[in-house]
Amino acid sequence: MSGSEAGSNAGPEPPRPLGAEAEAEAEAAAEAGGLALYRLNVDGFLRTVSGAWLGDSLLTVLRDRLGVTAVKDACEQGRCGACSVLIDGRLAASCTVLAADADGTRVVTVAGLGASGLARAIQARFLSEGAVQCGFCTPGFVVAVTELLTRRPDADDQEIREALAGNLCRCTGYGRIVAAIRAVQQERGILPIGGEDDVEWHP
Amino acid sequence: MHWSASGMLRPSTVGEAVEMLSAARAAGLEAALLGGGTDLVPALRAGQRQVQTIIGLRRVLELRVRGAGADRLTIGAGVTYTDLVGWSLSPGLARAARVVGSAQIRNTGTVGGALGSARPASDLLTFLTAADAEVLTVSPRGPRRQPLARFLAARPEPDALVTAVRLARPGGPATYLKIGGRQAAYPAEVSCAVVVDRVRHTLACAVGGIGRQPVRMVEAEAYAQAAVDWATGTVSSAAAARFADLVTEATQALTPTLPVGPHGSARYRIHAAGVLAGRAFARCLNPAIARPALAATLLPAAPHSDFLRPDTFGPDTPHADPATPHVDGTGPQGAR
Repeated sequence: MSGSEAGSNAGPEPPRPLGAEAEAEAEAAAEAGGLALYRLNVDGFLRTVSGAWLGDSLLTVLRDRLGVTAVKDACEQGRCGACSVLIDGRLAASCTVLAADADGTRVVTVAGLGASGLARAIQARFLSEGAVQCGFCTPGFVVAVTELLTRRPDADDQEIREALAGNLCRCTGYGRIVAAIRAVQQERGILPIGGEDDVEWHP
Repeated sequence: MHWSASGMLRPSTVGEAVEMLSAARAAGLEAALLGGGTDLVPALRAGQRQVQTIIGLRRVLELRVRGAGADRLTIGAGVTYTDLVGWSLSPGLARAARVVGSAQIRNTGTVGGALGSARPASDLLTFLTAADAEVLTVSPRGPRRQPLARFLAARPEPDALVTAVRLARPGGPATYLKIGGRQAAYPAEVSCAVVVDRVRHTLACAVGGIGRQPVRMVEAEAYAQAAVDWATGTVSSAAAARFADLVTEATQALTPTLPVGPHGSARYRIHAAGVLAGRAFARCLNPAIARPALAATLLPAAPHSDFLRPDTFGPDTPHADPATPHVDGTGPQGAR
């Protein structure tokens, strides 16, 4: 057993862009003004947040301070899923996460999924299968579906519906969204060609 | 103590967290403990809570452990619902955790948060009440262990940190059922947990949503203890209906304390409590005779309903209804 595996359970701290002195200076300045200063790793970029209110959610900071509009703001109660992001790979509603507490985690929005072929395939199928109507819920759905198919590529109909229960769509009635996911699975050779939606799939 | 003007404190041990909490109180600051944030963050945003200091527990790794002793399970306060969903050591707890909110909420919300918020309709608290759980806290006066019911009934100790809950290893089947609005968006109106111990010959039943905290159904439990054939872990066909009636009667007696919900009237809740208790009882105890009649009245198994999924049984108990697909058989949910 190689020794390198032993230390791999604790993820490395994201690199700090500022020198220690500059950092201390900025912190002192921020604290003198009674303002929060922390860093967020958003879609692979380290962003410094200063002047935010202590109680600000990750959603508010992403949109209003960092200009990340790929995250949508709807209910702010953790009910609709429009603001879904991945935090250290886990699906979360960014409106229920305290921004200052996300310092030290990796936050991925729909914009940060781009490099993955899976996310691109999901977005293409959402368009071709008519799963996008007004489009407001789509960023949250794409994040949730990418997380689901990464974890369970062969998710069946019930698993899909269970996993997406936290994302509301008021246009499609969900049928086209499930169809888009089935199409992605079919395209990737996971669902048998011509398979019905309710087909039991035994890998 | 150095006070960060931003008000955000991030301890890395329980000791540090407790120290920060009492220092904040000594300085006259309103402090909040932050688990996942699913309750606190929307409340801050809506102005329902005003705090000057937030103690974020994300980095306290000793709170994020779940473990099994010879006869007890211990679940750290930082453990999320998702962490419990796939836990084979307590299928009943896994089932209760699985029907909490949405995937987003289950990934974020913690056991400690459920205890700290102590919402009357909390899924987890209803199950833990039936499971005779104990709450472990640490304050400047040292560690303390108390029954969940006492913890919930007492005024919260403002300088104590919930570190874990502890419950007995399951000795039989257990299930959790709830009814209410869309599960992902709204808490349960009424919920019911039944925990059967075939070793000690006991059955525990707790109903949530009918009081400020989940209530144990003492008379119904006593009836069940006598009615169950403990050699086989089954009951007669009439027993589930009688059990449901006893729960309805007990709930009726609580009427003055029923919380007024936006959707469910007291009458509805009383009725729902009896129905859920009858179903949960039947699912755990396999009433053998007159199965079709019971299935019609107590088990209108709705595979697509959020609330009426086939339940989780103890490892040695056959599934109550072989016609219903066992959802848990589809694979490790959320095991990451």
